[in-house]
Amino acid sequence: MSSWIPLWLHKLGSPPTFYRFAGKLRPWMLALAIVLGMIALYGGLVLAPPDYQQGDDYRIIFVHVPSAWMGLFIYGVMAVSAFIALVWRIKLAEVVAMESAPIGAAFTLITLVTGSLWGVRMWGTWWTWDARLTSELVLLFLYLGVIGLYHAFEDRRQGARAAAFLALIGIINVPIVHFSVNWWNTLHQGSTVRLFGPSTMSGSMIWPLLTMMVATKCYYAFSLCSRVRADLLALESGKDWVRQIAAEESAR
Amino acid sequence: MSQAPLGRACAAVLRRDLTLAWRRRGDIAMPVLYALIVTTLFPFALGPENALLQRIAGGAVLVTVLLAMLLALDGMFRSDIEDGSLEQLVLAPQPLALMLGMKILAHWLTTALPLIVIAPMLASMLQLPSTVIPVLLLALALATPMLSLLGAVLVALTAGTRRSGMLLALMLLPLCVPVVIFAAGALAAAQQGLPWIAPIAWLGAALALALVLAPLGCAAALRIALDA
Amino acid sequence: MNQFLAMGGYAAYVWPAYAIFLVVLLADALAPVLRRRRVLRELRGRLARQSARQQRHTDTATDA
Repeated sequence: MSSWIPLWLHKLGSPPTFYRFAGKLRPWMLALAIVLGMIALYGGLVLAPPDYQQGDDYRIIFVHVPSAWMGLFIYGVMAVSAFIALVWRIKLAEVVAMESAPIGAAFTLITLVTGSLWGVRMWGTWWTWDARLTSELVLLFLYLGVIGLYHAFEDRRQGARAAAFLALIGIINVPIVHFSVNWWNTLHQGSTVRLFGPSTMSGSMIWPLLTMMVATKCYYAFSLCSRVRADLLALESGKDWVRQIAAEESAR
Repeated sequence: MSQAPLGRACAAVLRRDLTLAWRRRGDIAMPVLYALIVTTLFPFALGPENALLQRIAGGAVLVTVLLAMLLALDGMFRSDIEDGSLEQLVLAPQPLALMLGMKILAHWLTTALPLIVIAPMLASMLQLPSTVIPVLLLALALATPMLSLLGAVLVALTAGTRRSGMLLALMLLPLCVPVVIFAAGALAAAQQGLPWIAPIAWLGAALALALVLAPLGCAAALRIALDA
Repeated sequence: MNQFLAMGGYAAYVWPAYAIFLVVLLADALAPVLRRRRVLRELRGRLARQSARQQRHTDTATDA
């Protein structure tokens, strides 16, 4: 490969090195996620004033919006590592792509459920075929398709490559779905509500939101580390370094 | 090895698939029968009011055709994988994407074309006004090849797995959302007497894109799925 | 405190949203821990069986 990629990045691509690296990174990311999450929750639930139109109901956005961002962000990460996995056939990229999918699906599920809890009062119903909600549902189906395809294969690496291909098809599909759902929504004029205009958010509402966003990013890093570690152990179970770890764990 | 010219190879693949389909004529009738049954059930579930049926007719026919195609999609490459002829096709000197394109064409001719032929009848059963039927046929003529092409990529991806029926539906849903939206949008516009050319044009553009990209994607997916 | 918990009358919507956020993420965090434990247990079992088989093999070899 080209020489501009630093050597440590090559080393990080090898499973035992990444296993150790992820093990070191994991607790720090969890601690950071918990601390930042606590600060954001305090800021969002206690310090931020009630919204003059929505009262206290708007406080759902402090979990809803960061989760929605994470749902899309994780899909992006998954697609990039899927591309790397298909082009350069790096085992670690396959593992990262496949272990990102359940986390992304979890965040998308949170987005849908909290969105519908918010919608109960905004729209007067649990579910409405709003453009954003519908796109989010399609995103969840994309995630489930990737997870389902991965587990349908008996050979794990082959399944990972097929699912990576599906993830790449999906990333072309996401903007098309969003565009078409928007078009469909203007065709059937339903109850579209502008959730927030450009200037309705004050600073005291924005900083908890951004802090929560960073906290969810850290949580993703934590969860990805532990998932990749567990998966590497299963994938490389015949190798010496895994045997060593198994022996160490039983000695303790 | 002497290489057969491309045109002859394409024609051979097409003829082989059509012959195989003709020998199992019963299978061609299955999606048609399925669409007929589903359409019959709608009035029983919703009541026989003409106004109500007329309102849902376009969308109902579209979704019925889509589900009927999904039913047949699963078997697109199955017999070829089982008897090993698909692997021969992968090894053949001719470009795999083109050969798969021919297979997709054969599949479309044997499953979607009969559905398009009976679509006017299904639409009339649900009281769709006869002025809208040409638009329905046009929308179906553009939407069903899209579904065949997109479906072929997904079927190729699941070629290495044993059970794929439900998984295929789950994977196809996000891909066919835009197709359904634009096809149904054209029908709704035509029914309200509005100009319907814009969504049809979008469908046509998407079909042109899929015609070029889907066979290539299908070939890449098949190489991944068969590479053991 | 009670006023805080009441969330201006929207407690029924705000608290479930936060509860779901925490529960889903907690489940997501626990899944790999359990999986890791299972993988290691299976691996240790396999290693133990392997060494037992080797042991038996060498025993029969010395007997003969």
